[in-house]
Amino acid sequence: MKSYRVISAAFLAAFTAAAFAQQPPAAPPPSWQQGRTPEQASSTLHPFAPHLTGRPSSELPLDKLKVPAGFKVEVWADGIPEARSLALGDKGTVFVSNRIAKNVYAVVDKDGKREVKTILKGLNAPNGVAFSKGTLYVAERHRITRYDGIESSLDNPSEGKVVIDGLDPQTQPGHFWKFLAQGPDGKLYFNVGAPGNIVMPGYFQASISRVDPKTGVMDTYAQGVRNSVGFAWHPVTNQLWFTEHGRDWLGDDSPSDELNVATKKGQNFGYPYCHQGDTLDPEFGKNRSCSEFTPPVIKLGAHVAPLGMRFYTGKMFPAEYRNNIFLARHGSWNRTTKQGYDIYRVALNENGKVVNAEPFLTGFLTDEKADPPMWGRPVDVLQMKDGSLLFSDDYNGILYRISYAKK
Amino acid sequence: MNRSLRSAAAFAAALSFFTASAASGADPQLCAACHGSEGNSVISANPSIAAQPGQFISMQLFQFREGNRKDPQMTPMAANLSNKEMNELAAYFSKQKAAAPSHKTAPESAAAGPNLAQQFNCVQCHGPALLGQQHIPRLAGQQFEYLRTQLRGFKAQTRADLDGNMTSAAQALSDKDVEILADYLSGLPAP
Repeated sequence: MKSYRVISAAFLAAFTAAAFAQQPPAAPPPSWQQGRTPEQASSTLHPFAPHLTGRPSSELPLDKLKVPAGFKVEVWADGIPEARSLALGDKGTVFVSNRIAKNVYAVVDKDGKREVKTILKGLNAPNGVAFSKGTLYVAERHRITRYDGIESSLDNPSEGKVVIDGLDPQTQPGHFWKFLAQGPDGKLYFNVGAPGNIVMPGYFQASISRVDPKTGVMDTYAQGVRNSVGFAWHPVTNQLWFTEHGRDWLGDDSPSDELNVATKKGQNFGYPYCHQGDTLDPEFGKNRSCSEFTPPVIKLGAHVAPLGMRFYTGKMFPAEYRNNIFLARHGSWNRTTKQGYDIYRVALNENGKVVNAEPFLTGFLTDEKADPPMWGRPVDVLQMKDGSLLFSDDYNGILYRISYAKK
Repeated sequence: MNRSLRSAAAFAAALSFFTASAASGADPQLCAACHGSEGNSVISANPSIAAQPGQFISMQLFQFREGNRKDPQMTPMAANLSNKEMNELAAYFSKQKAAAPSHKTAPESAAAGPNLAQQFNCVQCHGPALLGQQHIPRLAGQQFEYLRTQLRGFKAQTRADLDGNMTSAAQALSDKDVEILADYLSGLPAP
């Protein structure tokens, strides 16, 4: 009798659904809200949207930007809406990606004047760009494509060739944008983020994976990575270092975002079970131990959203900067008192051990209690041939250049 | 104004718009045919753009141009605007004063509205006085029919949405809630 009632109720529900077929199933909350407690439902914390049309640098308080003595920061190019990841071409072209817009830009430096060209249009969240041996690789939400000889055809690039497709078979919510970099093994490394704030990832989600551009065959390199939108290889050890965003809605100071090292293939960095190497998740961490997982090298601060990172190998900066990491902290939004919004320097000794970590460029964060608290947001860093450092700001659509001049 | 008249007005505006924009930057006066003098709409289906946050205006123009948000009138209007022109229009209209709302809220809606605006988290993003902020629009004093159409669109999951936030928020609204909220919000004063 009981089961009959269940069945008839199910039948009725199905019938009702069919009768009102024009009503789609209720839309879930946006992934940034996923994992909130009922009490947090009335929180006013929210991610910040970029100015999608860009803002002219002439309208911004650039004098607030601070760098250490001897360094100088200036606007290198503006008018690049939602400037995200950066890649440098052999001939000096700076390629710039975005996430909400659908373009890839090329900035060409001609006699000190910079021209911004829109070289690719209509792409699907083309957040990842990497350049190698004349070829630009672009990671979209669902695929990676290659554009051979791109620097000779900036005004009329040929159709991209697919390296790998099917990277987003279910149009996943959450962290679907990809960072892209070529490893010392010649393979293209990219993240597949978690499909929400704190959820059980599916097949090859919450990973850093790689694909051989010659064969299109991929494998997963690191697991338990909630979302990494920045990685690079140590110039001496060749090990993969990567930034990772911790989960949200566990409080202002928990958990910390991470800087990790993958010393070999197959390591698991803890998500969704263990955060910051030592804190079990209140839901997924039950009955687990953080000792199962590889802890971060250092904690980068709660909710600071570390993105692009590069090792500094140039000769322009003083010797102590050699092989240091520069990384962009894009947040925070998920804490009541904001922090971050800077370029962060991680100093390593010759053995690759971290000896110091501190903000290097500050000044975007102007009022830690305000909404918005900042007027710019660093996304990626790029070392230029002369040893200067570019970084992108997607909030305003600007590239800045940091240089050093001996006193 | 009926629909065909509205379309004719929009078409005329679009024509003069393209003629003018070929010569100079975007002229805010060309938006007036539909959005009213200084951006204060007098047509219930058309939104007021005066005193909207600048980032909201430029983002919507961007979304129309890029095809992420579609509208038979606005899509062609935005099609040829540069980012700079969008920023200029946004700066101009964000600085205009909002007119006193012409909509008269029914007493029942005026009584129920504040609680609904709390319960459905409108104030959480649009602000305690529902004046909008950053990329989030001012709702206070917005046109009734426009508000109702947007809420229905979000509920039906057909209205463009940057991150799915409004689509999600609208799922909890009954048809009655939509009526009450639109009636309440459109009668609220905007400074």
